[in-house]
Amino acid sequence: MKVALAQIRPTLGDIRKNFFIHVDCIQRAKKKKVDLLVFPELSLTGYTLMDMVEEVALRPQTDPMFKKFKALSRDLSFVLGFVEEKEKGLFFNSAAFFSQNKVLHIHRKVYLPTYGMFDESKFFGQGRNFSTFLTPFGKAGMMICYDFLHLGSNYLLFVGGSEIIIVISAAPGRGFSDEEAYASSRMWELMGESISRFSQTFVIYCNRVGYENGKSFAGGSFIYTPGGQLIAKSPYVDEDFLVKEIHLEDIRRFRKKRPYRRDDKPEIICEALKRVIENYED
Amino acid sequence: MKINPVFVEKLVTRFIEEEFSKLNFKKGILGLSGGLDSSVCAVLAARALGPKNMIGLIMPYKKIFSKDVKDAEDFAFHLEISFRVIDISPMVDAYYTNYPTKNRILKGNKMARERMSILYDVSARENALILGTSNKTELLLGYGTIHGDMACAINPLGDLYKTQIRQLARHLKIPKKILNKKPTAGLWPGQTDEGELGLAYTRIDKILYQLVDLKKPKKEVISSGFPKQDIEKIMKLIKGSEFKRKMPPIPKISDRTVGHDFLYPFDREK
Repeated sequence: MKVALAQIRPTLGDIRKNFFIHVDCIQRAKKKKVDLLVFPELSLTGYTLMDMVEEVALRPQTDPMFKKFKALSRDLSFVLGFVEEKEKGLFFNSAAFFSQNKVLHIHRKVYLPTYGMFDESKFFGQGRNFSTFLTPFGKAGMMICYDFLHLGSNYLLFVGGSEIIIVISAAPGRGFSDEEAYASSRMWELMGESISRFSQTFVIYCNRVGYENGKSFAGGSFIYTPGGQLIAKSPYVDEDFLVKEIHLEDIRRFRKKRPYRRDDKPEIICEALKRVIENYED
Repeated sequence: MKINPVFVEKLVTRFIEEEFSKLNFKKGILGLSGGLDSSVCAVLAARALGPKNMIGLIMPYKKIFSKDVKDAEDFAFHLEISFRVIDISPMVDAYYTNYPTKNRILKGNKMARERMSILYDVSARENALILGTSNKTELLLGYGTIHGDMACAINPLGDLYKTQIRQLARHLKIPKKILNKKPTAGLWPGQTDEGELGLAYTRIDKILYQLVDLKKPKKEVISSGFPKQDIEKIMKLIKGSEFKRKMPPIPKISDRTVGHDFLYPFDREK
């Protein structure tokens, strides 16, 4: 199957303009016969929304823009990031998977970074689940940015049987390195390599670029195979539209070779977790 | 929008007292224009710091606002604060002799920054802290000169709309001739804020209150009875002036960056 990563630069708070960026990318992907196109986190709205959150929020069931996206998803699946008003006045940083004229799945960001330069918990409600869902390409799981940097979320998608992990991100770069790159980019790549290798899934990571209030989104989107091999990578900092053929057969190949999933012990983990939680001191 | 003037007076006065004590300053200084905001600020500062510790700077350009200069002098005299008149004409004219312009907004901004420059100089000579006099209406609309009249150390009236400052002024018994004056930025003769903005402060403040304080979406403000074009004009001014309310952006490069994640309170260890 063919995967495309749209490493775009959305305009902050201008959902109309961003809608057209999405449509352009969708057309471009269709021309290249792409099966799955992935946009970054909050691709429809931009990231540093603060008090604009409520102004750009959408209700997936009734929103006219979502209707158009559904219509565009007949022969191309795509994932985008948006602000979801799940209930009146309750906002989430969400990812929607469009396919076959439907929204197949919505993931609401669980781990909202609220430290240093981040203050997402101030503006968003917290999602409560990491679940897998069936796509035309097999079982998939989605995460949004900081979700991916937690072992628990990755484990849940592994236990849920995901074969493709899609991570959408608006990760600002930070820290010096010897490379022509931010030090923080290495962190995402390390996680991509480890998770793909040890959960034997494809890891498709799409980050954005551009500046917001001086925050520089680092780009460097990538695809890792279930063997932990990097097969595609976008440049840092610059816009890009990356298209790569992946072979779903790799999943079977690697899982036969090293049976991590067969030998996993979710019941033991679950019971042990309960004991840990019961013994918390407060 | 109605304030309790006794309570607000107390809050602002205490704020000035506490900020000066934290920053270790006894003396305060502010620009006196003979208008409402600087007069209200001067009263409250004189109460908080004592009139002897307050300096009012009156900084006219030529003779075009001589009535306001007189009002400012009278008011400073009445408050028993010290004041000084510094004519900014030589400095401003020196510049425009070499670089002439007919654009009165450019000239107005230059004058505002000339006043700022003098305020900072005198404040350093006198070891005094500058009190700003921008109100909430001006801050939201961006109706002020960045690094000009918006420059200050603390801004005591920044959360009060113009019409609320008028309520406070009545309570503080500010003289009628100041109270009833048409608000002006003093950029050129005959200029008034309301004329330039094209809207009365009473209407602007009511719209701002709904948009900002009550966080109402545009359509709800329209249905409350205000014309769409007025609301849109105000929203455009707010959106267009964000840069006046923020520090300039810095591109993030390192692990800890000023303005991003080097996070300390203004009142650090104070």
